[in-house]
Amino acid sequence: MLEVRNLHATVGGKPILKGLSLEIGDGEIHAIMGPNGAGKSTLGNVIAGRDGYEVTSGEVLYKGKDLLELEPEERACEGVFLAFQYPVEIPGVNNTYFLRAALNAQRKYRGEPEYDSMQFLKLVREKLEILHISDDLMHRAVNEGFSGGEKKRNEIFQMAVLEPSLAILDETDSGLDIDALRLVAEGVNRLRSEDRSMIVVTHYQRLLDYIVPDVVHVLSDGKIVASGDAKLALKLEEEGYAWLEDGGIKALGAGAGA
Amino acid sequence: MDVAENQTLVEKWSEEFHGRQAPNGPGWLQELRDKAAAQFGISGLPGRKHEAWKYTPMRLLEGLNPSTDEPAESVHSSASFPAPVTVASSATVTVCNGVLAPELPQTLAGVTLLPLAAGVQAFEKPLRSLLSAVELDGASRVFSALNTAFLDQGLVIHVSENIKAGTLLIQWAFSREEVAVLGNFRLVVLLERGAELEIVEQFESETNTAGALNVLVQADLGEASVLKHLRVQNESDEVVLLTSTSVEQAAGSFYRYSGFDLGGGLVRHELDATLAGDEAHVSLDGAFVLDGKRHVDNHVSVDHASPGCSSSQFFRGVLGGKSRGVFNGRALIRPGADGSSVRQSNANLLLSPLAEIDTKPELEIYADEVEASHGATVGQLDEAAVFYMRTRGLTDEEARRMLTSAFCHAVSDRLEDRGLADRISEMMDRAMPSGGLTAQES
Repeated sequence: MLEVRNLHATVGGKPILKGLSLEIGDGEIHAIMGPNGAGKSTLGNVIAGRDGYEVTSGEVLYKGKDLLELEPEERACEGVFLAFQYPVEIPGVNNTYFLRAALNAQRKYRGEPEYDSMQFLKLVREKLEILHISDDLMHRAVNEGFSGGEKKRNEIFQMAVLEPSLAILDETDSGLDIDALRLVAEGVNRLRSEDRSMIVVTHYQRLLDYIVPDVVHVLSDGKIVASGDAKLALKLEEEGYAWLEDGGIKALGAGAGA
Repeated sequence: MDVAENQTLVEKWSEEFHGRQAPNGPGWLQELRDKAAAQFGISGLPGRKHEAWKYTPMRLLEGLNPSTDEPAESVHSSASFPAPVTVASSATVTVCNGVLAPELPQTLAGVTLLPLAAGVQAFEKPLRSLLSAVELDGASRVFSALNTAFLDQGLVIHVSENIKAGTLLIQWAFSREEVAVLGNFRLVVLLERGAELEIVEQFESETNTAGALNVLVQADLGEASVLKHLRVQNESDEVVLLTSTSVEQAAGSFYRYSGFDLGGGLVRHELDATLAGDEAHVSLDGAFVLDGKRHVDNHVSVDHASPGCSSSQFFRGVLGGKSRGVFNGRALIRPGADGSSVRQSNANLLLSPLAEIDTKPELEIYADEVEASHGATVGQLDEAAVFYMRTRGLTDEEARRMLTSAFCHAVSDRLEDRGLADRISEMMDRAMPSGGLTAQES
């Protein structure tokens, strides 16, 4: 699904990613953990195509295509989805209207017929039911005045409607209390499927109690320094990130493949 | 425009005033015209040194004659009027090149619609006091003086006590291909106690039509009366509009203005409401969506002269191309107008590096326990929002269009009539600057 090879990227001229490599198979969930400033969010922004994130070398292949060649909207239409750490408020733009415009833009790109409002509402109702989300979010402006939990749930809801092949969840757990976290995680789990891969970027292990990853990577100073199965996350939780500078974690992760 | 040219234009208008055959009417009216003519001869045209006209140049007025000698029938037979803004059960009045159509619509009992001359006869006392109340002194009032000097074409609307008059649509049109005449027109609205009226003004000429209008609207709102006023201005590039709306409100009355400026070459609207009686309320909303070289200037002013009144000014501007917008919003709370509430907001989006907005809030408070808020912002689109929308599949242009559209729909969404709000929102979308929507090089 996704192959990242020796990726180097700078933000404002400052090197952040320094040779990141990663391979994600169809239907796999990979967690990326690491200390602040390691480059976790940068990876998501580079994959989504944000301005100001400059790739200086390396490549990102998505379904065999060079993703870095594409505009952000083309990446979205090809099935890449970024759930934002800080979803943006869009005053005056109705949530339903926005999502229908986005879905139809993607369908048009793929040569599929656009949904009329009745077809779209039917789809929305199905997805709301699957995710146990009440429909009052749909009548409001996109993210405007939403609580932290509502914003994150709205991201997951958008993901459910847009049905991406690759979803990057950028610190979806940040700012959530335990109940909201559980709700969001349940939503994500319902969207797991054989043809949908996910990258779960998180600072803490607790999200991974609910979304159990196939592979856990530790990102430090712009590189993946260790990879392992879900147990690696528990180890990190116990021992923190400080000791990875000693090289101790490398031994622990040596046996696991990415 | 330099002083010599100013002088020429004013001299020309003065000559025309003295050379023409004076319209009929009572002696006081002729005296008023003479006084106004003398005044505009003294004042001259406003220039950049006049604060109230600092941003709006007068050069487009060169060569204009301030009246037309053509009979109304011939003016109207050659005019084409726009498709009306759809308003349920409205009567329509048309004014072409500043000349009132000879046929006026039938009205309900308690509602009177008369040409100015007949209106002066039927309602002499209130009209004399209203017409005489117009400020004429100084260069900033020169168009009021000109309008008064040539006072002839006009319409009087009177609604009797507690009558709900429904909607009157006023269609302004032009039938010429060159700007030759500055048509002067007076609209007088008299609402008795508890009366209700809605006025819809539509300015929408066909492309390649040119014209200039100097319209004064004077409304006198009796106790507990309601005037709703919608103005949709979608004129061609060759149209000059100098308009002034002045509303005097008695106790408990309500005036609601919603104005949409989507076109015009040079447009200046002075909108003044005086809250003369207790517990009167006024709500002034406006949007301007400008492209090309359009120039739209809204000068809004509310005078809180009594206690317990509220006022709100809510204006939004979207400017592309080389367009220029001006918003001057003033609120004056006089001594004794305690417990007043004033809200004022003006937000603007600049979509082109060559577009310009001049926004100036003025708040003067001389009373106690006043609740006041004001804010003026000028900005570009939120790039974080544009990126967010693109990651969901919308193109850069679609995202910008959607954001810009939502920004100005904030004004149309305040209209009570949902259907009308949707139609005006669509008009605003069509008027949206196209060239300026892509990302600006910084």
